[in-house]
Amino acid sequence: MTTPLRLKELSKKEDRFTHGHRMCSGCGAPIIVKMVLLASEYPVVACSSTGCLEVSSCISLLTAWKIPWIHSAFENAAATIAGTETMYRALKKQGKIDKEIKFITFCGDGGTYDIGFQSLSGAMERGHDMLYICYDNGAYMNTGIQRSSATPFGADTTTNPAGSKIPGKLQKRKDLTKIMAAHNIPYVAQASPAHWQDLIKKVRKAFEIKGPKFMNVIAPCNRGWRSRTDDAIALCRLAVDTCYWPLYEVENGVTKITFKPKEKKPIVEFLKPQGRFKHLFKPENEWMLKKIQEDIDHEWELLQKCSVVEEKAKAEEK
Amino acid sequence: MEKKLINKKVLMKGNEALAEAAIQAGCRFYAGYPITPQNEVPEYMSQRMPEVKGIFIQAESELAAINMIFGASATGARAMTSSSSPGISLKQEGISYLAGAELPAVIVNVQRGGPGLGNISGSQADYFQAVKGGGHGDYKLLVYAPWNLQELWDLTMKAFDKADEYRIPVMILIDGILGQMMEPLVQTSYKQPKLPKKEWALTGCAGREPNVIKSLYMGEGELEKRNYKLKEKYDRMKDTEVMYDSLYIDDSELIVTAFGIAARIASSAVKKLRKEGRKVGLFRPITLFPFPEKEIEHICKGNRRFLTIEMNMGQMVEDVRLSVNGKAEVDFYGRPGGGTMTPEELYDVIKKYM
Repeated sequence: MTTPLRLKELSKKEDRFTHGHRMCSGCGAPIIVKMVLLASEYPVVACSSTGCLEVSSCISLLTAWKIPWIHSAFENAAATIAGTETMYRALKKQGKIDKEIKFITFCGDGGTYDIGFQSLSGAMERGHDMLYICYDNGAYMNTGIQRSSATPFGADTTTNPAGSKIPGKLQKRKDLTKIMAAHNIPYVAQASPAHWQDLIKKVRKAFEIKGPKFMNVIAPCNRGWRSRTDDAIALCRLAVDTCYWPLYEVENGVTKITFKPKEKKPIVEFLKPQGRFKHLFKPENEWMLKKIQEDIDHEWELLQKCSVVEEKAKAEEK
Repeated sequence: MEKKLINKKVLMKGNEALAEAAIQAGCRFYAGYPITPQNEVPEYMSQRMPEVKGIFIQAESELAAINMIFGASATGARAMTSSSSPGISLKQEGISYLAGAELPAVIVNVQRGGPGLGNISGSQADYFQAVKGGGHGDYKLLVYAPWNLQELWDLTMKAFDKADEYRIPVMILIDGILGQMMEPLVQTSYKQPKLPKKEWALTGCAGREPNVIKSLYMGEGELEKRNYKLKEKYDRMKDTEVMYDSLYIDDSELIVTAFGIAARIASSAVKKLRKEGRKVGLFRPITLFPFPEKEIEHICKGNRRFLTIEMNMGQMVEDVRLSVNGKAEVDFYGRPGGGTMTPEELYDVIKKYM
């Protein structure tokens, strides 16, 4: 029986990712992990690639994971969990195991968009029964805020520092959610911890689908975003309300927007509270703000064109 | 904005010092990827390279970075990449290809504890990987192991010259301690020695015969010939490129051998013991390949004993044993897994072997 999607009920459940980890206050990653693990009653085996979550959740001999959890290297979380899942299927076939176990990876954007992309793509194409969750905070935060291919256009990082000549990152971020949808796997979704019901619903849906699933979840990082720790969830909400991070899913090739903001907010509302975009508000960089808004408008329009909007979604959100 | 250096003494961080030295030596192409404890190298390069009209690229992986170096070097550019142990493991394929294609490059390994993800403390556990090949096939790197930031500055510049002179990848093998520490160094200006023109570079073949750069030799006997050619180069390096340093060797009964940061820590202990009248000396290889075999063999006389100290489980000690060739006892003391020894600890250890 699944727990009703209410805080009152969910909060009674035992956390499968507990206190004692060393993530920063206001970090999005542990919030996302907790929500995902609260989503269902299935036994879960998880894998993480090298990153903040991995380093901070298994200091010395201590662990915050109350589920079986494995880490191997930076570039191969999808391959590692693929091996584990395959062995599970073999054991099931041999009758040595009968439980229905779910396999998840929790990886950052560096380990997903960049160095881990080859193993992710391979695992999805082979069709492992797994859910790959990327917590996307838009840079290599663990090693000191270096740019990744998830870093948004214009952002300041330690390897594309904003200066008088180069105003931060000049490339657009890779649209990984769409790239994963192009793998023609049964389920791909984009989510935000600010819309927790939407996130949990997506995880539950993913668990009921056999085969490879991918979810991209925006994760606030106050160190890298140069924002206030208590703004974490508010920023995630703004990311959705400005359509910087639209909430949608692609199920068997059909795109559906799962939450449509009543009123699309201007992107500056999302950018302004973040120090990594501070330089964009200088007069000489006005063109960048304009470009960011135009790009978002364009992509939002494209997304709406190819998707079925679920009117109910908005109502359920409240 | 070219920085004019007037032999100024500055306080710098190791990773930044090596990056600046590379730029001074004419490195205009750097590709890297984040990994602790070498992140200051790409970060510094990302700011400095645009100032000198050079190229900084953050690759999507270490594998991509090393192959970008392959591409840049093939056009004749002075190219560098850096990483730390796990990342250097990923680069091994590219390093083997660089060696096979005889392309100059400078690779910096700011070592951390291993195996696997290990930790981010300084370590010397990649000695074998650096010195004995690392990747597949018969090849060697010229390996420099500086022990302070001044030497790091000087050897980084030298590395580019030697890479071009021999058409080989050169490795600068330091560790997290040297990479992260700050100390004064004199920013000496770079003077390029006379080097052969890069006539082999792929620069567009209009008006000349096309150049070919490759490591694939499928014809009968071709690869064998190629390997002999490489060996001839490595032998030449053994004759002319060996660098070492020594302290109180002449009347020493016990000679401590160590490289890099371990040698620096050991030197404090050795000096203290000398003050107490103990006959102990220090021998420090600066090039790990070519290894100062003859020099060690030369100082191996009488009842002299050797004690090799490393921040690993015993790697260079094997080369010391090969060098003394059974003529002296060689003991070992090491701290693996990112463990760092203190001068006091080494004082006690060395005393025990006297």
